[in-house]
Amino acid sequence: MDKEVIYLDHAAATPMDARVIAVMQPYFSDNFYNPSSPYAPAVAVRRDYEAAKQKLASLIGAKSSEIIITAGATESINLAINGIGGHVIVSNIEHPAVLVSASAREHTIVAADKYGYVSADIIKAAIQPNTQLISVALANNELGTIQPLRDIAEVIKAERASRLMRGDKTPIHLHCDASQGVGQIDVNVARLGLDMLTINSGKIYGPKQVGLLWTASQVRIQPQIIGGGQEHGMRSGTENVAGVIGFARALELVSEHRKYEVERLALMRDNLQRVLTSALPNSIVSSHPKCRLAGHLHISFPGLDGERLVFLLENRGVLVATGSACSANKGTRSHVLMAIGLSPEVADGSIRITLGHLSTTENIEKAGQIMVEEINQEYQRVKL
Amino acid sequence: MNKKPKVYVGMSGGVDSSLTAALLVEQGYDVTGVYMKNWTQDLPGMKCPWADDLADAKRVAVQLGIDFKVFDFENEYRQKVVDYMIDEYKNGRTPNPDIMCNQEVKFKLFLDTALDDGVDMIATGHYARVEHYDNDSFAITSERLRAAPIKGPGALLNSGCRCSSKIGSNLSAGDIPQSSRSVTVSSDTLEPKSELAPGPNSDLERSSTMKNGGRKGEQEKGILLRAVDGNKDQTYFLYRITGEALGKTLFPIGEFTKPEVRKMAEDRGLTTAAKKDSQGICFVGQVGIRDFLSLYVDQQPGKIIDKQSGKVLGYHEGAIFYTLGQRHGLDVGGGLPYYVVDKDMTTNEVYVTTNLDDGVLWKNEIRLGNIHWINEAPIEGLYQIRVRHRAPLISAMLVFDDSGVSLKPDDSQRAIAPGQSVVIYDGDVCLGGGIVI
Repeated sequence: MDKEVIYLDHAAATPMDARVIAVMQPYFSDNFYNPSSPYAPAVAVRRDYEAAKQKLASLIGAKSSEIIITAGATESINLAINGIGGHVIVSNIEHPAVLVSASAREHTIVAADKYGYVSADIIKAAIQPNTQLISVALANNELGTIQPLRDIAEVIKAERASRLMRGDKTPIHLHCDASQGVGQIDVNVARLGLDMLTINSGKIYGPKQVGLLWTASQVRIQPQIIGGGQEHGMRSGTENVAGVIGFARALELVSEHRKYEVERLALMRDNLQRVLTSALPNSIVSSHPKCRLAGHLHISFPGLDGERLVFLLENRGVLVATGSACSANKGTRSHVLMAIGLSPEVADGSIRITLGHLSTTENIEKAGQIMVEEINQEYQRVKL
Repeated sequence: MNKKPKVYVGMSGGVDSSLTAALLVEQGYDVTGVYMKNWTQDLPGMKCPWADDLADAKRVAVQLGIDFKVFDFENEYRQKVVDYMIDEYKNGRTPNPDIMCNQEVKFKLFLDTALDDGVDMIATGHYARVEHYDNDSFAITSERLRAAPIKGPGALLNSGCRCSSKIGSNLSAGDIPQSSRSVTVSSDTLEPKSELAPGPNSDLERSSTMKNGGRKGEQEKGILLRAVDGNKDQTYFLYRITGEALGKTLFPIGEFTKPEVRKMAEDRGLTTAAKKDSQGICFVGQVGIRDFLSLYVDQQPGKIIDKQSGKVLGYHEGAIFYTLGQRHGLDVGGGLPYYVVDKDMTTNEVYVTTNLDDGVLWKNEIRLGNIHWINEAPIEGLYQIRVRHRAPLISAMLVFDDSGVSLKPDDSQRAIAPGQSVVIYDGDVCLGGGIVI
């Protein structure tokens, strides 16, 4: 299989940036020391580790002492949700890490609209006297819809103020899972009005199994992994020095190139969308028309089977995702697509295309041609 | 123009069923791949790999450009196979889930569902061969005789009167039954085994294959033959299916050895060509029967007793977990290995011995109940039997008795446990079998 691979699933995983690998390298061998050890070379490693955390903190407008390093977004989310008491509100299109964690306790699941948009009003209506946590993703991983975090933060601020006015000290916090979108949206925590933030290194050209949970200094959470007391006792275990150094560099790089990259991706994505929707008039683009991640294209071909399309395109070297397996295979249909009310026929015929660093004008153009060919052939095969 | 005969192929996501589908496409059938969802519960230590297997099966179907369906048989499978197994174990017997799965699910439920959908045939990736014959003419040709090399007394040539009183008469080349032997092989080196090579009538036979496959509603039956690959032969698991079901069944890969199957899959670029074989068939092999049973049966400590001395040697977690002849997992340590010779399900006691010659471990008469013949019952006489999958064929005298069948093997057989199936062969032909009483 020497055919060119066109990778269009950047929302699932991203290739590590060479510059990220380069800064990590020394920490696997020469600078292998345990940062908690007392001798000078270990102390130097400790300093580098702290510097990397400082860099992460300043990139999101926070203090280093407020950052807990974890082994990825799922762990950060578990810590955020399980570490806080009371009632929790999440939307019905959240990642399973959020939905499953929330379901294990008193919770309300609110409904996103047909674009996968979670309005501040719907969150407001769900708040109860004992609500302590609202968790909403920055952008939905399947649709790419960007959520109005600032508006939601306003709702929470108002609720907090009214509780204080009543003398009610029950805290209420907003957690945002920014696994998707951190490379395309500025995640300054103050500007977004967050109390907690999850970021995943593996989605921004950094190493996998590294992530962070930022918690504002007033947030009290219970650690979930206890032991040696690392990360201010919030997450025990010897520090993943190389991983954090890589993570910091990765976040730095995507932040530097954010503006340029967003324009580049949006241009290519819009071209691809135009090619597909004009050549395949049956196609339906889901997600918010305006608030959408630049690299995301969620498109359905009603009557076709998205999983089949994945395999057909795979045979041509084009790698895309589907949130949906075949229609006969009940129970594996995407909860997101069901939640936004797509008919089974539309949901089953959908694929998710996500552009990123590996996308070029040429390979996106080529991918567009291949998709039109394969999808037309598939329509002919099923005689639709 | 003749319409292509329609075939549903059970595709499990493994190399065998992948190649089965590919061969049938090459032979000109209108093929639909079907994944049977039988088991979805996670077992201890493993997430059921059915989602990956399903994706593998579908990927191959897409590669072949064929339709693909999923049949959800989870409820039926649970009732007919899982519950049956648990009941059998609870009663102290050693059942075989794969045999049950073939009898109840693959060659009943799947077949019936497929026929309801209007298909002509089903196919699976079993290592077995099927010879079709027409009930009206009972034509069987010399082709068929060549297909089943004679393997001693009672083999096909002189057994026409045993399998079916009419088989072997009325030879006529024009009525050659549909045969799974007529597969088309793309690679020269992978022609079917020389003794099985299609004779001068092969072209004719091939066209008759297509024609026969296309006809509907006729009373075609099938004879089950051992696979060419003696090492992989799966007829042991298939002995409880019916001649009628076989009449609607194709086993294209039974003509090939496993290495040939892998090579042919690789030559065709099938993505499953190098996929590891599943350990144990059906679901239990993945975790072992013990882990599986412990999901359904509470552990209950009981005594391990030395049969000779009556001494209590230790304790076990439930007699249900032990089977006759078992050596490992007894944990009574030291000295000679102990073997399970008996168990009492009511007192939850397991009896063991170090005496390899214990009479209970060795049987020179095997009595079977719950007899199933694929076609007609054979007459009494000398046959070959297989006491477990991949066990060597041994010759045994078959006599009918009140409760079923009694088999007297030439040499006494070790560790034949109640509940276990014994399958009876006449040369290459699998006649049927029964369950050890």
